[in-house]
Amino acid sequence: MKTKYIVLVIIMTVALGSVEAQFTKANLQASGLTCAMCSKAIDNALKQLSFIEAVKPDIKNSAFNIVFKEKAVVDIDALKNAVEDAGFFVAKLKITGSFSNTEVKNDQHINFAGSEFHFINVSDQVLNGEKEITVVDKNFLTATAFKKYSTATTMPCVKTGKAGSCCEKAGVAAGTRIYHVTI
Amino acid sequence: MNAVADIFKNKTMTQLFFILVLFISFVVNAQPAIGTQSPEINLKDVNGTDLSLSSLKGKVVLIDFWASWCGPCRKENRHLVAIYPRLKAKGFEIYSISLDDEKADWKKAIGADKITWLQVNERGGWDASVANAWKINQIPTTYLLNKEGKIIARDLQGRDLERKIDELLKQ
Repeated sequence: MKTKYIVLVIIMTVALGSVEAQFTKANLQASGLTCAMCSKAIDNALKQLSFIEAVKPDIKNSAFNIVFKEKAVVDIDALKNAVEDAGFFVAKLKITGSFSNTEVKNDQHINFAGSEFHFINVSDQVLNGEKEITVVDKNFLTATAFKKYSTATTMPCVKTGKAGSCCEKAGVAAGTRIYHVTI
Repeated sequence: MNAVADIFKNKTMTQLFFILVLFISFVVNAQPAIGTQSPEINLKDVNGTDLSLSSLKGKVVLIDFWASWCGPCRKENRHLVAIYPRLKAKGFEIYSISLDDEKADWKKAIGADKITWLQVNERGGWDASVANAWKINQIPTTYLLNKEGKIIARDLQGRDLERKIDELLKQ
């Protein structure tokens, strides 16, 4: 009886402790010819995305703090497209995910929250809890910053953002969107 | 459904329908226009006291939509701080409406920019009801009202603003 009880407690603990792999929030810096936060355009465009719960200006970083809807699948490219449709550019995008024993290795791909990610300039590590990653794909940061990251890997995907045929042996079909990120 | 189809068979009715749609969308998009009487605004100041725009009747008033997180607004504050004392003595007032969500950020910016004119705030950012009513799409947005509360100009800055205020004060 006692053993049964202990087993039950262990199962409960594991169940409660397991975090669903998803992105919870983001911090997005936009740039353009005029003050990006001072225009309603980006705010409007972002709020039209189905997975966004709230958009708030972040004074300290002249950026937007974005909260994602619970359990929603975040489309990172859609964030960028919304900003561009409003007539601005993404200067920096940091996304917070709730990780649970996610193994990350430098210059390798992982699947997380429904998308493929390629980690660049990181030390090998295991991610747990709330962690912030920065998207370093083209058009997600300034041209100079992109140049720096694009030389950090020899894999062809960094230039196109799409998986090359080289990834097929790892189970990723050629042409799959791969987000390049760093920590 | 057939009744609706019948209406559209009638050419005049169809035309009327589209004119009506056009008219409605025009009215919905309209910002308070220059030359018209300014709509009333009644919001709370830093102390939580009601402060209405109509209570300033008899003064030349600059309505100023801004927020602490708006860089260009903060820059324009510096200019307003410089011209305010001289113009206030002659019957000018500034009614600043902050779209800040955080009262603390708003208060901090008032202190940092050394603002002594009237300040009201409505939480909600772009979705605040005052921002919706005035169709604010970007900040800073300003409206200059004459002593009777009529809208005379929009988004004047620098020397142009000062000159216009002086002109309205003499009327």
